[in-house]
Amino acid sequence: MSIVDLTSMAESQAELKKEINERLSRLQDEISDYCFQCAKCTSGCEAHKLLELEPHKIVALLKRGLIDEMINSDIIWTCMSCFKCRERCPQKVAPVEILFALKNMAVASGKQIPGNYTAMLQSVLSIGLLQDVKSVSTRDNKTKTRSDLGLPELSKPVDPSKFQMMLSKIAVEKV
Amino acid sequence: MSTEQYAYEMSIREIFPKLGVELVDLKGFSCCGEPIKSVNQFLTLTLAARNLAIAEKEGLDVFAPCPLCHLAFTECKRVLDTDPKMSERVNKNLVDEGLKYTGTSSVMSILDLLYDVVGVDKIKELVKKPLKDLKVATHYGCHLIRPSEIGRSDDSENPQKMEELLKAIGANPEYYPEKLDCCGALLNANLPESALTKTGQKLQKVQEYGFDVFVDTCPWCHKQYDARQVKAGETVAAKLDVPVVYLTQLLGVAFGVNHEKLGFDLNLSPVDKLKLGGK
Repeated sequence: MSIVDLTSMAESQAELKKEINERLSRLQDEISDYCFQCAKCTSGCEAHKLLELEPHKIVALLKRGLIDEMINSDIIWTCMSCFKCRERCPQKVAPVEILFALKNMAVASGKQIPGNYTAMLQSVLSIGLLQDVKSVSTRDNKTKTRSDLGLPELSKPVDPSKFQMMLSKIAVEKV
Repeated sequence: MSTEQYAYEMSIREIFPKLGVELVDLKGFSCCGEPIKSVNQFLTLTLAARNLAIAEKEGLDVFAPCPLCHLAFTECKRVLDTDPKMSERVNKNLVDEGLKYTGTSSVMSILDLLYDVVGVDKIKELVKKPLKDLKVATHYGCHLIRPSEIGRSDDSENPQKMEELLKAIGANPEYYPEKLDCCGALLNANLPESALTKTGQKLQKVQEYGFDVFVDTCPWCHKQYDARQVKAGETVAAKLDVPVVYLTQLLGVAFGVNHEKLGFDLNLSPVDKLKLGGK
């Protein structure tokens, strides 16, 4: 199974989108009403200075229902998920969680997944790990494997086909 | 990051038996799911639940040295333990592998285990070579301490457990204003240059303040500060030269463990200038 299966199954995508939409409207109804735009989230945002992410504006845009605009924007992919906004909000609003939902929505809507996420996802789906086991370099440029270093073989899903089957179910599951 | 950050794993396997903690490798574990949360949160939840279910089957608690794994597991437990519907839904996916999440295993981070379970006193007892006069900058890693609402390993704004552990081995941890700054590692997936800038900005400060060593507990952060240090320096026009080590490596040194066994050959930052004595 590959990323294509996860993102191109029209019907299941519709279900997935429905679920994320529900998550977003829940966030919209329950949470964004509490936000009074104090911008404490933005003042501590790790991505603010460098990449101009403004979490308080994300909350404001969600409140106004501008979801399509946000999932079409690169700005949602600048969050480094440090969780400071969620931690510090005096009203217990969690912009970081809104951003996760928006990114999920962008993927479910068939937008291009940026950067390495595709490769990471593909690797998890096929071998259960974010990347295959690597050999590493020492400071003086010698190559070492896990066994060279006395480390045991790395744990992986015992039956890859069953594991892949499970993940494929997630893609087609009705919500 | 058990697929490449071997120094962390080696030092963990060296020190925990000395502290009376038996580590068991669980067969069948997979990625925790946290790194792909941006793509599909339900996938993250399912992967985390699957791993916890494997531990439950063996009747063991889970020790997650990586803060991202620890967050994925903690969050998964919180969601599934409070939402029976979601628990049922996730479990439906686990049936084929003969697994079921029930919530019986607890999850521990590196700080939970070192500070809360083992304790500072026990660590003091084992010190053979106190690391005197070592001025240390600590880096907790965002995922280890936030979001506190779901239960994290230390205070979110003023974490001190690493400091306490470092004092126990004779080192001298000092506060610096950038202590809670993020390493930026999670941007590597799509904005690698920005990730390096975040790393460089923090490390540059650490260098300016004259710290002897930068200590972390997260393999993602560590890769940024250690392996990518030179490149990170380039993004902020600085020549960085800061030794970066895992907390567990430093504990191992204090316990008198051979440096090679602690994976010191694998640190790519200039750890040789630390002069920790011995090999």
